[in-house]
Amino acid sequence: MKLAVFLFAASAFAQTSFPEAWPSYNGDLSGRRYSTLSKINQSNINSLSLAWVYRVNPGRAPQAGGGNVNTTIKGTPVVVNGVLYTTIPDHVWAIDARTGREIWHHVWTSKGGWHIGNRGVAVLRETVYVETPDCNLIALNAKDGKEKWHTQICDLEQFYYASVAPIVVQTRLKNHVITGVSGDDLDIPGYIESHDPDTGALEWRWYAHPEPGSPEAKTWPSVEAMLHGGGMTWVPSTYDPDLNLLYFGTGNPQPVIAGQGREGSNLYTECIIALNPDTGKLQWYFQPSPHDTHDWDAVQTPVLFDGEVNGQPRKLLAQASRNGWFFLLDRATGQHILSSEFVKTNWTLGVDAKGQPIPNPAKQPKLDGALVTPNQGGAINWPSPSFNPETGLFYANAARAWSVYYLYDDDDKPEGWGGNDRGGVSEAMLQAIDYKTGKIRWSHKWPGGGGGVRSGLLSTAGKLLFAGDPSANFVALDPATGDPLWHAALHTSVTNGPITYELDGVQYLVVGAGDTLYSFAMRAK
Amino acid sequence: MRRLVGAQALACAIVFGQAGPYQRQEVDNAAASRGRQMYTQFCINCHGALAKGTEQGPDLIRSPLVLRDRMGDQIGPALKKLANHKSDLTQAQVGDLTHFLKDQVEATAKNRNPVTPPNVLTGNAEAGRAYFNGTGKCNTCHSATGDFAGVGRKYNPLDLQQRFLFPRRSKPIQVTVTAAGGQPVTGSLERIDDFSVSLRDALGEYRAFSREKTTRVDLNDPLAVHNQMLDLYTDQDIHNVVRYLESLK
Repeated sequence: MKLAVFLFAASAFAQTSFPEAWPSYNGDLSGRRYSTLSKINQSNINSLSLAWVYRVNPGRAPQAGGGNVNTTIKGTPVVVNGVLYTTIPDHVWAIDARTGREIWHHVWTSKGGWHIGNRGVAVLRETVYVETPDCNLIALNAKDGKEKWHTQICDLEQFYYASVAPIVVQTRLKNHVITGVSGDDLDIPGYIESHDPDTGALEWRWYAHPEPGSPEAKTWPSVEAMLHGGGMTWVPSTYDPDLNLLYFGTGNPQPVIAGQGREGSNLYTECIIALNPDTGKLQWYFQPSPHDTHDWDAVQTPVLFDGEVNGQPRKLLAQASRNGWFFLLDRATGQHILSSEFVKTNWTLGVDAKGQPIPNPAKQPKLDGALVTPNQGGAINWPSPSFNPETGLFYANAARAWSVYYLYDDDDKPEGWGGNDRGGVSEAMLQAIDYKTGKIRWSHKWPGGGGGVRSGLLSTAGKLLFAGDPSANFVALDPATGDPLWHAALHTSVTNGPITYELDGVQYLVVGAGDTLYSFAMRAK
Repeated sequence: MRRLVGAQALACAIVFGQAGPYQRQEVDNAAASRGRQMYTQFCINCHGALAKGTEQGPDLIRSPLVLRDRMGDQIGPALKKLANHKSDLTQAQVGDLTHFLKDQVEATAKNRNPVTPPNVLTGNAEAGRAYFNGTGKCNTCHSATGDFAGVGRKYNPLDLQQRFLFPRRSKPIQVTVTAAGGQPVTGSLERIDDFSVSLRDALGEYRAFSREKTTRVDLNDPLAVHNQMLDLYTDQDIHNVVRYLESLK
């Protein structure tokens, strides 16, 4: 049986010990979601055929806390050794990646937590790792789905929960399982952890706030506000093995909307963070949304690629952030290179000397309402972007959305949310951003679509860009122009990030929509 | 493979004390009311009116001890151990106190919804009228004595503000499709994406077309101008217009 190797253009990001087909949340650890596979390409895309369909069936287990089981596939499947792993909260399935036949199904008996979604698994050798809403990291035997161990990674009682896909990072020193945490009902600090892959033992925890007494702590009015200041780690990390740096974003500060009790920029919430994965020590940070009051988590995938800026080769990191801004940084140093809007916004007074947007006080939430764009859902949300090294374009499935932000609690010390947004209207579009200039090379407005699109993106060497549209289509576009080339009408809109892999000389393309995985294959010679 | 389900899982959780949000203490309103009285009598001076803390005492809503407590199993021993605390409360009184505190926690965790609607009537009605008939050009399509007569009675102020900014669709989008070499077909838009468009024509017949490169599609959305206005309104314009619309009783 021949297993084709998933190739990556930048070999620095290819973890050589992962010879599988889509071995991690983003494929490789660069976050580019770019595949060098090209059996499916512009010339034959209309010969693509349906290979298999798999509908998740969680059985009769009730959802913790009551209600129906959330069966929406929001995670990106991982494919290792011809087996595809997919999840919903409390459930993991191993599926034959060639046929879509179920191999095993693991059910975790939950004690609670928000069952809003699960982003997927990590795999290292014979172990599958997944987080559960009730704050556990569990390790499963890849052969049969039986539990090897589980360990608590957060405290349900403080209203944390877990939804992130773990990431396996292999440094020169050792392997790590990196986990993130979720939850923003109460004022609790966000953090990220590293666990021993064999035992689950905690190796380090990094909190999304500075040390009390440090200069950065002055970005909070008090230690008490800082230690309850949020900054959840909702989205999986990326990793540069040459620099040995782990990159991720942190979420909104707490209280979420009512910010009058936390004057200052509120570090390290709303930041792009670089850590040493062996020690958990901070290397640098950049803050896309200082003093956020709009729930614009800056957790969107920090995408790593090497490029040229002003004629000089640079190691780069790019993020299309939920607040509507695109940032380009030097990933070795955190040095800011470029900031630009990828959709038009109305909440800033420009950018400061560090390239960070300056919030306009007039667009903070108000007792009688402030009209703001983007809305709380953001110009982009958790679905993954893609970077294509052939076109040099960064793609974001974006929205220009409006709402009115209301402050409900004007107390000097609000807690929780203390406000919310209401409304409004939204226009969905796929944006292609030239990373060198920050300008929009092309913009494809999705017809007929209101609301944000919850589809991640995938680009390939077949000169194709795959995306879900708001009309329940899975679409292939020309990555150079944005012209739609092919589509499949699904039963509901795409809800995860599409992947591709090659087995026995056949290239597969898999996408999730609601409770169903659709697999397409190119069998034509 | 763990396959405990439903009541079995609940039973295990209770037996092993693995309480979580699923078994979060359900607030008894009567007990919470009694607990509030006790809190007011013994706790409020240091922990504040809303239990959010003062310089004399810590925030109890953010307290892991309070959050982990079930019916006083954490708070009771803490009261006995801590100096300057009411240490002689009965178990029932401690239980009442926990209901009050849990009620405060739950209210905080849900405060993304308002207890009372926000007051949006902060603008100037006369300035709103001037904007309506002037800069905003609202009177191009709307009239205070026509379609907006009595609109201030019809909606509460908050809904009025939201509907003014984001009006609900009352008329369908009109679309005209002209296929290559064909005659234009006009009707109410049913659905459109990059690959097809469908409509109902004046006779109520459903018509669908593939969108080829040569297919022309013209949309006429009556709400488009409202969406374009979002880039032009100031928040003061909005509050003035809402005050004006609210006055149209």
